[in-house]
Amino acid sequence: MLEIEGLDVAYDDLQALWGVDLRVGSGEIVALIGPNGAGKSTLLRTIAGLVRPRRGEVRFQGQPITRTRPHDLVGRGIALVPEGRRLFARMSVLENLELGAFTAGARARRNETLAWVYQIFPILRERRHQFAGSLSGGEQQMLAVGRSLMACPRLLLLDEPSWGLAPRVVEQILEVITEINRRGMTILMVEQNVPAALGLAGRAYILETGRIVAEGPAAELLGRDHVRRSYLGLLPGTA
Amino acid sequence: MSLLPQQIVYGLLVGSLYGLAAAGLSLIFGVLKILNVAHGELIMLGGYSSFWMFALLGVDPFLSLLLTVPIMLVVGFFLYHGLFTFVAASAEEARIRNSLLIGFGLALVLHNLAILLWTADERGITTAYSGQVIRVLGLALPIMRLGGLAAAFLVILGLHWFLHRTYLGKAIRATAEDWEAAALMGINIDKTYRVAFALGVATAGIAGTLVTIGYSVSPSIGLEWTLKALIVVVLAGLGSIMGTFVGGLLLGVAESASTILLGGAYREVVGLVLFLGILLTRPQGLFGR
Amino acid sequence: MTVTLRLTVSMAVASFLGLAVVPLFTARADRLNLLILIFLGILLAQSWNILAGFAGQINLGHAAFFGLGALTTRLLWLQGLPIALSVPAGGMVALLFGVLVGAPAFRLRGAYFAIGTLGLAEILRITVGNVLPEISAMPADYVARYSLIPRYYLFLGLAGLCTATAWALNRSRLGYGLLALREDEDAAEASGVPTLQHKLLALSLSTLFAGLAGGAFAFYHASYYYQHPFGPSWTFEALLMTFIGGVGTTVGPILGAIFYVVVKEVLTVQLLEIHLLIFGGIFILMVLVLPGGLIQAATRLRGWLPSGGGSRRGRPRAGRG
Repeated sequence: MLEIEGLDVAYDDLQALWGVDLRVGSGEIVALIGPNGAGKSTLLRTIAGLVRPRRGEVRFQGQPITRTRPHDLVGRGIALVPEGRRLFARMSVLENLELGAFTAGARARRNETLAWVYQIFPILRERRHQFAGSLSGGEQQMLAVGRSLMACPRLLLLDEPSWGLAPRVVEQILEVITEINRRGMTILMVEQNVPAALGLAGRAYILETGRIVAEGPAAELLGRDHVRRSYLGLLPGTA
Repeated sequence: MSLLPQQIVYGLLVGSLYGLAAAGLSLIFGVLKILNVAHGELIMLGGYSSFWMFALLGVDPFLSLLLTVPIMLVVGFFLYHGLFTFVAASAEEARIRNSLLIGFGLALVLHNLAILLWTADERGITTAYSGQVIRVLGLALPIMRLGGLAAAFLVILGLHWFLHRTYLGKAIRATAEDWEAAALMGINIDKTYRVAFALGVATAGIAGTLVTIGYSVSPSIGLEWTLKALIVVVLAGLGSIMGTFVGGLLLGVAESASTILLGGAYREVVGLVLFLGILLTRPQGLFGR
Repeated sequence: MTVTLRLTVSMAVASFLGLAVVPLFTARADRLNLLILIFLGILLAQSWNILAGFAGQINLGHAAFFGLGALTTRLLWLQGLPIALSVPAGGMVALLFGVLVGAPAFRLRGAYFAIGTLGLAEILRITVGNVLPEISAMPADYVARYSLIPRYYLFLGLAGLCTATAWALNRSRLGYGLLALREDEDAAEASGVPTLQHKLLALSLSTLFAGLAGGAFAFYHASYYYQHPFGPSWTFEALLMTFIGGVGTTVGPILGAIFYVVVKEVLTVQLLEIHLLIFGGIFILMVLVLPGGLIQAATRLRGWLPSGGGSRRGRPRAGRG
């Protein structure tokens, strides 16, 4: 569904990504892990159209989308839940969700989608008239995901969904992600929480200082020494 | 001291126009992060458009609003595409600076164009009913200014309704808060910029008409009204159209009430001192967030 | 590098000396007045440029300092204090006021600083206009003794001094700090540049010269309204001249002032009040197309020539925005 080839991305004189190749097949959950500042967010933002690459191509369902503007990409079926959630704090939960369905196609199915989102995240229905800024961290994350779901995407990009959340809440979020994937949503997820990410994903890529250094089935990556040492803090040879 | 209540009335009447003037500036600044220092000149343009419609075509000034609005919307559209897309394309820090510069150049051009075309003379509108004064509780309410307050209030309500109850309005508010997040919702940022800018300019035009109706218009009111709008924007803060309107009323009342103690000569200074005070102590304004 | 430096300095000194001997060759009032206006323009633009071009702070209240200098000098001078003391006094008052408002003013960033200074200048203008609404007229004996020559040299000297100061500032370590500040204030602060001090210093120099310019203005004009030098048009002219010439360079304000004053004189003769309209249009074009001003145009033009000869005047403009 998503193909990235030879992507070079730079901010002014600072190059962030070098020759990145990445694939996400329809219905997969793919994780992208790596240290802070590796460029993971940059990659997602580039896919979503917020950043223009210097070189390389991004293709969605076979169509090149490298130069497409962000709002058009939402219409095409790509939704990004950005790092730090970026909710409209001064607007209500309901208004945030409604804005998620801004595109014409999503707007037509808004009531349906809203009902579904309320089903997945009952707390949002409860708090629907509250200001988004007044919700707890976990609730905000749920709202952020729900908001992106309102766009009826085919590919959901998640940037650090577990960031700053208590473990129990992280579990909840991950359960939801699994559930929507089961319903057919393709997911590309950036995560710092490596065990969680690799537990959830089918395949994963490792991005370090702007380059893909490893890729493969999640379970297999869990077993690699480098991963265990750098990301799981385990010494080689231990379980 | 029956002088004070009358001054308060006058203050509210002129303050409603301050609020309206500031609303347009606030909208553009809040959404596009562009500080259009030519805003006062746009108010002046709106005022002249109504004046000439009255002087040449005999159109009732309040009715001329119906024509001024589309005219100013078109002006806003062209200004945006001609001048301000450049500013909007700049990065955040550069944007403020570029908007100051472009706005300054635009103000200079419009001001001097007005002098060239229409002379520096003050113009006013006198209709059959314009001299009438309604008296309530011993207070005088000049009918043209009362009409101005009513019109200003209606426009503010309309703007508020638009921003809070329509999809496009909410999209504009979302863009003002976080344009990247808004883009991720599928909102066309360029389009919201255009709409917000045009609305801001149209609001300025309406304010100009009401200023001409209740007071007078001349090429030099540009700087005056830009300052007034700036003062109110700083006073009230960004983010609330109603708050801006109230800020305008407050400024109007503060100015008028001060004339009792300080006389008319320091009326402007009161506003400016208030302005500097708020800038230095509470830069987000009284109602800003 | 030293060759071009020496060339630049010699050319500057030569021009200065050339201008200094002009009154020996002509006593025509109109020519001397034109040059005086140009020098005044250079003073206003260069002094504004020190804060705006070098330190990146757009001060829309520049006229306040010009006005304060004029007011102080005029009042002292008409009371009998010799002009040699009155003008520096004007400069000092402007400087003091600048330092006084500087610290609180610099708590404001960017646009807020700009509109804040504008508000401040307006407060001064209105207050002076209320307290001293009358025209300040030179008494008869002063008029009898009026000679253009000393005024010419005063303006020339001040313009030269201001330009030299700007140039020295540009090249000093302080100048590098200011440049860093201009490009990115937070980054400069983070890397140890004492930004507030730098800004205050730039402000001091800027207001000092604006005040001195005002003092010279008070010495020059026979009669004017006390509030006139406080008017925003003086700030706007400084802005126009600086940007048209090339903000952030030392030569820019000079080129801009010459261009502005000359074209203004020409247009006033031919087309009366249209000059501001045209300058407004030029200004907009400059911001959109040629943000480096005439300097940038000249540099581009030199790029078309076969080999780059001569000196590289001023600092290259660091891009748009």
